[in-house]
Amino acid sequence: MKSINKGYMLGEQKLPILKDISFSVERGEYVAILGPSGSGKTTLMNIIGCMDVMDSGEYYLDGMPIHETLEDDLTEVRNRKIGFIFQNYQLIPTYNVMQNIVMPLLMRGLTYEEAEQQCIETVRLLGLEERIAHKPSELSGGQKQRVSIARALVGHPSILLADEPTGALDQASGKDVLKLFRQLNEMGNTIVMITHDLNVAQSAKRIVRIVDGKLIE
Amino acid sequence: MRFSEIFRLVWLNLSQNKFKVILTSIGIVVGSATIMMVLAIGTGGKMEVAEQFKNLNAGAIDISYEGGNSGFGFNMGGGRGAGSGNGSFGGSNSGRMLSGGGMPSGGGMPFGGGMPSGGGMPAMPSGGGIPFGGGMPSTGEGFPFGEMFGESQVNEEVILTYDDAETLLTFVPGITDATISYSTTTSVEGGDLEDASYYTVAGVLHNYATISNLELAIGDFLTEDDNDNKEKVCVLGANVANAIFGNAYSAYNNTLYIDNRSYVVAGVLTEMGSVASGISPDTAIYVPYNTGVKYITGNSISPIVTVIAEDVTQVESVMQNVETELKESYPNTTFTISDAGSKMDAASASNETLSLLLVSMAVIVFIVGGIGIMNVLFVSVKERTNEIGILKAIGCSRKAILLEFLLEASCTSFVGALIGVMLSLAITPLVELLSVRVELSVGGAILSLLFGVITGSIFGFYPAYKASRLVPVVALNQE
Repeated sequence: MKSINKGYMLGEQKLPILKDISFSVERGEYVAILGPSGSGKTTLMNIIGCMDVMDSGEYYLDGMPIHETLEDDLTEVRNRKIGFIFQNYQLIPTYNVMQNIVMPLLMRGLTYEEAEQQCIETVRLLGLEERIAHKPSELSGGQKQRVSIARALVGHPSILLADEPTGALDQASGKDVLKLFRQLNEMGNTIVMITHDLNVAQSAKRIVRIVDGKLIE
Repeated sequence: MRFSEIFRLVWLNLSQNKFKVILTSIGIVVGSATIMMVLAIGTGGKMEVAEQFKNLNAGAIDISYEGGNSGFGFNMGGGRGAGSGNGSFGGSNSGRMLSGGGMPSGGGMPFGGGMPSGGGMPAMPSGGGIPFGGGMPSTGEGFPFGEMFGESQVNEEVILTYDDAETLLTFVPGITDATISYSTTTSVEGGDLEDASYYTVAGVLHNYATISNLELAIGDFLTEDDNDNKEKVCVLGANVANAIFGNAYSAYNNTLYIDNRSYVVAGVLTEMGSVASGISPDTAIYVPYNTGVKYITGNSISPIVTVIAEDVTQVESVMQNVETELKESYPNTTFTISDAGSKMDAASASNETLSLLLVSMAVIVFIVGGIGIMNVLFVSVKERTNEIGILKAIGCSRKAILLEFLLEASCTSFVGALIGVMLSLAITPLVELLSVRVELSVGGAILSLLFGVITGSIFGFYPAYKASRLVPVVALNQE
């Protein structure tokens, strides 16, 4: 990322959120972006996740110039290169665990059966075998987050993007998730985690601080 | 994303919200049921009309004289007196006396604008009983003679004869056939009847069967010889044969008593059902014209001459020529001239108007139903904004989202249309209880399903489009 700027209109005035942010993440890294609320970390995550557009700057993901890519192509990028893990899990309540997990693969044009086949390994890794037919409402917070992680993992993305992954969990479940992140990183996954909690951030191998829209390494 | 997988998701969403699907589609349910019933009632109406008129030949023109008189003392008529004055068929023909030749022709003045068979005729298919007849005084404007000389109503009794029919056949161009018939009610005994019963007895000629599209179940129709020799034979309508003899086979060659005279049953007609005009074939007994006159009615009959126009499109002009021709023979008499075609047209036209009205109603119901679907889908998009955000975050394309929501609308309306079709099947017996003929058809069902789905899809498009255009980050953060 090079000189990223992003602001929102507040009435007639533009409120700058991200100010000239430049940083890079190498393949296989486990980075935590740490900052208090209002520091712009969620906006940064949205830009990294190709869900929001920057006002200026350059962003390359796997060598692809995201700042020049159109929305329709960004859909493809989100599907193939990014795995999202949200604070509040963002599972679709009407689908069961397996149906939630296979979604990114269905969007690649696989049939449900093919996608299900591909997911078995991930489901086993996350210990969700017993839960695949359950609806999200029937799961605990920790289990929901595992489903969310499984959904992010199944497509083998270039980067796992986690927004406050332990924010809604109790301490034990939170620890489990962080342990899982370590494990995933050791397996070669690139992880970028956003948090306001230093303890959580310390589980990452590298911490980047964001204060008032500016990055401090 | 594969279409089959989108469809699977749609199925998943709909099957988990069954009640919502039914509520959403109520407008479509009503719309489809309406379309189906409209088509069924329209078809039923058409078939009803066709059946009621099946004893009518499209080119048939009926001429009758129904008593009264429109003539005035001053006879301006003239014409071919001698030509029409030759022997009467049935009996006295006193009216002829007035149609003397040699008077200066007044160009049909007594009939002035009072031509009774005009536009008013086709109003209803109520048959021969159209009350124009001679009873309507032809108060032809610009006819000063009446007042100048004083009106002298002459009650000339006109009885049409076969000669009149033949005259028309000979002198009016474009007529292929002509016949004469009358009907009366008289007592009948015999067969299984314990007491004398009253039946319609029609005196007809041999060609009546062809002209009225009658078909025989057994035996033969009356012949020319039967008429010439005044044979006591008869042909029975299907219901008459069943009532008197149990069935057509027992009736054939059996004997019954009409007005205490024995008649041999020469044939039995097939069942025709109810008819809108003329003699109802199922409940009539047909005897040779002359036989009837001799043994049953005497001369107190008011026969109807029926002529068949060669070209159905020329019926109007043939009717005019018939009127002109009749005026030559009966200058002071107004006849009721009616054509089967216009009766059929009028009945069909009123039926079509009704169908059009019902179709308009169905269209309105569909629009209301469609707006209902649109509203519910808008709410649904709003409700599921977060879900749309999730789908977008994990890489669902705009096209797939549009397709998913559109398919949901289409499927919802398909379910509604299907329920509508079933509903119309269920209410058909109730509608039939109200004596409305309903003819359900597969075509009607397919059409109403199609209309339902198209309406749902059209009205579902906009909400689906709105859903597909949501910005991922905004949608995702929507609670």
